Amino acid sequence: MSDDVVDVLIVGAGAAGAAVAWSLADTGMRIVCLEQGDWMNPATYPSPGMDWELRGLSDLGLSPNTRGLPADYPVNDADSPISISMFNAVGGSTILYAGHFPRFHPSDFRVWSEDGVADDWPIDYRTLEPYYALNDRMMGVAGLAGDPAYPPKELPLPPVPLGKLGETLARGFNHLGWHWWPSDSAIATRAYEGRAPCINLGPCITGCAQGAKASTDITYWPLAIRRGVELRTRCRVREITVRPDGMADGVVYYDADGAEHRQRAEVVVLACNGIGTPRLLLHSRSQQFPDGLANRNGLVGKNLMLHPYAMVLGVFDELLEGYKGPTGCSLMSHEFYATDRARGFVRGYSFEALRGFGPLTTAYHGMTSGVLSWGAGHHETFGMMFNRTAGLLAICEDLPEPHNRVTLDPERVDGNGIPAAKVTYRLSDNSHAMLAHGAARAAEALTAAGAKLTAPEVPMRVAGWHLMGTARMGTDPRISVVNEWGRCHDVRNLFIVDGSIFVTAAAVNPTSTIQALALYVADTMKKNLATLFD
Amino acid sequence: MSDATPSSSLSPAAHLTLRCVLDELIPASSDGRLPAAGALGLADHALALAARVPQAPSIVARGLASLDALAHSRGAECYAALPQPERLAALHELAAEGAFLEALLFPTYAAYYQHPRVLAALGLEARPPYPRGHELPPFDVTLLEPVLRRPRRGR
Repeated sequence: MSDDVVDVLIVGAGAAGAAVAWSLADTGMRIVCLEQGDWMNPATYPSPGMDWELRGLSDLGLSPNTRGLPADYPVNDADSPISISMFNAVGGSTILYAGHFPRFHPSDFRVWSEDGVADDWPIDYRTLEPYYALNDRMMGVAGLAGDPAYPPKELPLPPVPLGKLGETLARGFNHLGWHWWPSDSAIATRAYEGRAPCINLGPCITGCAQGAKASTDITYWPLAIRRGVELRTRCRVREITVRPDGMADGVVYYDADGAEHRQRAEVVVLACNGIGTPRLLLHSRSQQFPDGLANRNGLVGKNLMLHPYAMVLGVFDELLEGYKGPTGCSLMSHEFYATDRARGFVRGYSFEALRGFGPLTTAYHGMTSGVLSWGAGHHETFGMMFNRTAGLLAICEDLPEPHNRVTLDPERVDGNGIPAAKVTYRLSDNSHAMLAHGAARAAEALTAAGAKLTAPEVPMRVAGWHLMGTARMGTDPRISVVNEWGRCHDVRNLFIVDGSIFVTAAAVNPTSTIQALALYVADTMKKNLATLFD
Repeated sequence: MSDATPSSSLSPAAHLTLRCVLDELIPASSDGRLPAAGALGLADHALALAARVPQAPSIVARGLASLDALAHSRGAECYAALPQPERLAALHELAAEGAFLEALLFPTYAAYYQHPRVLAALGLEARPPYPRGHELPPFDVTLLEPVLRRPRRGR
């Protein structure tokens, strides 16, 4: 295969890789995507089994370190108060995400101009707006038009039902006069493009057996493959290779049997997430790039942003039936989204309501929080919690800081001997202040909704879902890794389309923006094919 | 999930001790609606779940042996023969060392809170979420009236 040269080689088949593959496919170019994971079989997801809750806490848990599946690579996150979550398969982390799918706000693209911190993006909301809309149609996003927190937008599907839990929380927000709105959700609330409608199973974050949640293995990929994209699974890329002139010329990868292959390409596109992309770049060392590919300014891996979370659980007298319905999709609030310096921090946070838990997860959270003890009184405490607990997550905007970074672990390796990623991360004073404010306001909202007691987890440890900023976008090659359309400054036939290229993190889940960016980069590539490397 | 046949990895005596420990961890509810974990026959299941962590079975086995030794030191034939308050005190003593309950408590909860009888006692249907799912009423848009009365705040 060493003499075989494809037009475009994409690494990673998750949220971004799927979108860019689908979009580029209409050029008729020969496109190959290498994915270290495999296709998932929805019949093997936990929700058809009686042990569905346990599996969500173990073999389909969020941490690659806990799962330790062959497709996973270790992430040393011991030096971070937030542990890293991701999934490796066709569909990537969309297999296990909650599907909470808000867009960034227009103001999120001009953080420096608004607040004098971080940087402005080299693109704006208006540039991405058509790609957000296209992606909403491709993924099948549910929601309600008219959210006063956003510019007008239309979504193709009606909102996810709030259920008793969501309605209870909504009344609390109304009592306080705070903004809330039904969540934008990547969930088919009606039959949509061959997908069955949501039947409120609950555990979206362990994979959707119904096929209602929009993971890219069932949205973009079937269409991209039909358009001619070749997707090779269980292929783990070790390094990107370069020609003497410093341009990328392909990759070296291992197949499922561990055999080494080389795949040459005219263009390489990375879509490996905010941890996997810098890991691969840093491991792609050469004479031309001794510190890692596209890393002449030393920025690859730096400015990692994670979204610190404050989780506050509220316990109610009434039964909330929170185990019915999508775990992370009911309502959101952007009441505290914008900067108010009187609060003691800049930027802000959003609230995402968290439905209640099944019995085992209730016991697990009770155990880990110290609220639920064994022995006498166990049943009384459990009875007070189960089916009576609602949660609010304060998703805090994380500002880019160069000391928060991804490097190669000096000791740990994956199943192919490639160094693990090492995450070094600490919360800033701004984040601490924002988390404290978010936790207090969450408790206030829960209390207003009728909670008789609240319990915070600040910061939430298992919350490193959103991996951003480690190969940032910008027009100045001295302070950014890729240009305003995802092309590496140092390597003009190497593109990055995942959360690595985020300049700032906003205060909402990033997948909608990751995919809109991927579609925008692909579209810009198509418009500039004749001069792509100029 | 039954304790009729003791686990092959434990002696019958250790198995009896484990069953008594589970009864202490999750006793029967005062109204009798929810059974105790040991009486429900979860010892083998809990032990199997604990064994997912490599060192856990030996930690559990050592802990059970310690409880029996403690019982001997107090003149009882075994842990199960101690009066209940003393069983509880002995377990608290061992729990203070950390590792034993760290290895056993979550597996016990996992076995217990997935058991059909427990689910039924909690008022749930003893079935997995898929394929039947759950019914929810459609979104009630009137809840948003207060939000829509406020000024636009988009930025």
